[in-house]
Amino acid sequence: MRGPKDFRLSDGTVIDHLPVGTAARALEVLNLPRGGPVTVGMNVPSTTFGRKDIIRVEGVELSKSELDRLALLGQRVTVSLVRDGDVAHKVVLETPLEVEGILRCPNPTCITNQEEVVTVFHRIGDFPYRFRCHHCERTRSIHEETEEALPTRR
Amino acid sequence: MDVTEAHRAFRGRSVISAEDFHKEDLLAVLDAARRFDPEGGSHQYEPLLQGRILATLFHEPSTRTRLSFEAAMLRLGGQVLGFAEPHQTSFSKGESLADAIRVVASYCDVIVLRHPMEGAARLASESSEVPVLNGGDGSNQHPTQTLLDLYTIRKSTGRLDGLKVAFMGDLRYGRTVHSLANALLNFDVQLSFVGPESLRLPDVLRQRVEAAGRLGSEVSSVEELDEDIDVLYATRIQKERFPDPLDYERVRSAYRLTRASLDRFGDDLKILHPLPRVDEVAMDVDLHPGAVYFEQARNGVTVRMALLHLILGEGADA
Repeated sequence: MRGPKDFRLSDGTVIDHLPVGTAARALEVLNLPRGGPVTVGMNVPSTTFGRKDIIRVEGVELSKSELDRLALLGQRVTVSLVRDGDVAHKVVLETPLEVEGILRCPNPTCITNQEEVVTVFHRIGDFPYRFRCHHCERTRSIHEETEEALPTRR
Repeated sequence: MDVTEAHRAFRGRSVISAEDFHKEDLLAVLDAARRFDPEGGSHQYEPLLQGRILATLFHEPSTRTRLSFEAAMLRLGGQVLGFAEPHQTSFSKGESLADAIRVVASYCDVIVLRHPMEGAARLASESSEVPVLNGGDGSNQHPTQTLLDLYTIRKSTGRLDGLKVAFMGDLRYGRTVHSLANALLNFDVQLSFVGPESLRLPDVLRQRVEAAGRLGSEVSSVEELDEDIDVLYATRIQKERFPDPLDYERVRSAYRLTRASLDRFGDDLKILHPLPRVDEVAMDVDLHPGAVYFEQARNGVTVRMALLHLILGEGADA
């Protein structure tokens, strides 16, 4: 059986330590594939977490805004930028305490769904996190709006 | 917190959610309200807010909240402007709430907003140069109701610690229940809940009460409640919560308080209700010595006077 270390790239991005079951959500959030090859490992063994999901994307570098979205999916998602077969840069994403302008409130009678407002959500509790809307105070999980893929507000 | 500290803490502050209040904040408002209680000291209303203007912007019908805010401001010597329904205003032309609030803020010193959308008051406070007081935002928050409920409980029982409080009615959607239960968790209380299966407490709140070690009983009829409760907070069950009118009729009769149904609790029991009542509290309960719901409504003016004075008053400059 091929292990995660066999997922080698020449240029692109490796998204590692995704919680098991979140790879599909990550693909959705990042709008992948975008043309180049994407390799997805689900429920693969991990020395740190026991099991994890992992995604290898050929020819794509993630933007700051895409990293911000990925940070909501897990506790310590790791993103490595690969150039010429070597890791050029590696970052461990921390889920922010306050999430601005990324999530949409699923409450249809929340004022943020009527007015032009930059949404703010507060992270609550331990992982798996829930997020409380700063305006209407309703809480949501990160998996509540699969069809919308964590859109940026207008 | 002494009076000067309280004024400093509240000066220019918006009041959006009961969740924003720590125990010291709650007690500061309740203590400040004693000065304005008609049953307290002197009954001379001082013109403490003379020259100040309160704008009441009510996008939904309200009797008690709007009139008691206006009465509070007038009794403090201030003035009031605003509207009781939005159809004659620029809101009906599609103006955004943020824009309208920005403009109204330049006409007044403080705004009270009631709005059907949850989060409207928070958004308004972010757009306003003057404090915004939430007079109810959809099913979310109504913080001044919570303050007057706490004031009524403390005034009628003499304390907030050591009480057994039971909530009855719409536990699922009733914002007054949620806010007051959360606020009471700041004190050493035991909370019980009486309601139909379909209107049970939301999981998040139930877990919070249980985690705090404050959960008493959860029952489906008043007859099952322990006799030693100190406060019974009744709320209205709304017909629109039930898809089947027959279900509503069954529930309605099961959650109706009568004088006879309260006999076994004794005369020390205090009965509160945010009003308006429809038929969940029978008229004969009005004669119960612990029926304090009309006093509760009256306390709305007292507590709102205290809040307005803390936010805008001279003491705020100390």
